[in-house]
Amino acid sequence: MDKVLCSIATRGRYQTTLPLALNAIINQTKLPDKLVIFDDNDEPEDVRNNNIYQHLFSIMDYKGIKWEWVYAAKKGQHHIHQSANRMGYDWVWRVDDDAIPEPNVLEELYSWINDDVGAIGGAILTLPINPDTSKNTGKIEDIDKEPNIQWAEIKKLKEVEHLHCSFLYRAGVHDYNLGLSRVAHREETLFTYGLYLKGYTILAAPHANTWHLKNPQGGIRSESNQQLYHHDELIFRNTLAYKDKKIVVLNVGMGDHIVFKRVMPDITNAEVFTCFPDIVPGRPISEAMSLFGDIDQWSIYKKMAEWKWTDSLENAFRKLYL
Amino acid sequence: MIIISPYAKALRNGKTNAKNYPYWKELIRLIDEPIVQVGIEGEEQLVDDFRKNLSLDELGKLVDQCKTWISCDSFFQHFSWDRQKYGIVLWSVSDPIIFGHPENINLLKDRKCLVENQFLWWEHTEHDANKFVKPKIVLESLNAKQT
Repeated sequence: MDKVLCSIATRGRYQTTLPLALNAIINQTKLPDKLVIFDDNDEPEDVRNNNIYQHLFSIMDYKGIKWEWVYAAKKGQHHIHQSANRMGYDWVWRVDDDAIPEPNVLEELYSWINDDVGAIGGAILTLPINPDTSKNTGKIEDIDKEPNIQWAEIKKLKEVEHLHCSFLYRAGVHDYNLGLSRVAHREETLFTYGLYLKGYTILAAPHANTWHLKNPQGGIRSESNQQLYHHDELIFRNTLAYKDKKIVVLNVGMGDHIVFKRVMPDITNAEVFTCFPDIVPGRPISEAMSLFGDIDQWSIYKKMAEWKWTDSLENAFRKLYL
Repeated sequence: MIIISPYAKALRNGKTNAKNYPYWKELIRLIDEPIVQVGIEGEEQLVDDFRKNLSLDELGKLVDQCKTWISCDSFFQHFSWDRQKYGIVLWSVSDPIIFGHPENINLLKDRKCLVENQFLWWEHTEHDANKFVKPKIVLESLNAKQT
């Protein structure tokens, strides 16, 4: 059976909504195999001395939920989510520290897992519920025209192209964009849309409601620098602008470029960024960095390390780009 | 004429690249053929005819003229393979199954010499002359290739 990690990032909410979120997680009808709490506070506390947390941790132990408290690096929640993404679990259920999933949420989301699915999200509700999302497409091209499908109750299962806030996702197959600023604006949209682009089905599932308290105090995104939001929005818009292209980023040596030449004819509609345009023609690598923020997602060496690769470099390129 | 490409890319920390063959001088003495060395400015000259900083066009023309070539695991082995001119690659810590081409003769002393993680920067790997085949073995392969 697939193993599920529940991941929660927290900041400024020790004494408000975090215990509520933890309580909701440990009272799920399907329990996660592990709960990891990423503490992103400027002045972290040792909550083992807090009576409420002592009880919550004891209940986790009693119910057999492994748990871990990790002091995060305050680099933004995309770094936190990427850590969870690579912790070796099959699936990660990410929950906000001011979100209260109803007891059946993980069980419902989990019930839709199959080999084609990349992520499943339920409704993320804040009262009063205003938007009518019944006619939503959930397509990325409509993101500016329609409210998010998760902002109202979801009546029936729907395939979409992106999710937000809290959802269950297949771990270790797509990376968060670490080129975003520390506000990580659009990080979950970029992430789930990336899964979609890799060919996975993204689902908005019914009967899986999470109440989002939108606590104005604290929060992992408690940052008001508009330049950071602008920076991230630009990366998001550039990603959309190139959505129909196969992005190729060759931030590697000359020899690697030569090997890649054998793969190039099999890639259709490529937009190539290259270090050695006399070997593989294309645009400068610096352009890829400014357009997409993080080019590590195309690092063939990083990918080969992740895949524990033992086959040829040429076949690694094929796996990455075909 | 035989081309030798003795050196892998210089490391940023100034250490000897663990992929650099340590017995070139001995090997060169054993080869009874005109030898052209290719490389870049700053590399040690091992034979009289050292062609530095050639353009890709110039290098390609030279490769096309050579009888065969000998190289460490560097850009050159990929470049010549791409021109369908195959030669001898002298391996040590990097894995010829991943980074090599079966059309070349890939001389690896022992797979036990390979570093565990093939995908890190080579700055982290110490040079060890014991991880390379001896010149006599290279010469045997060269003679076999030419007959």
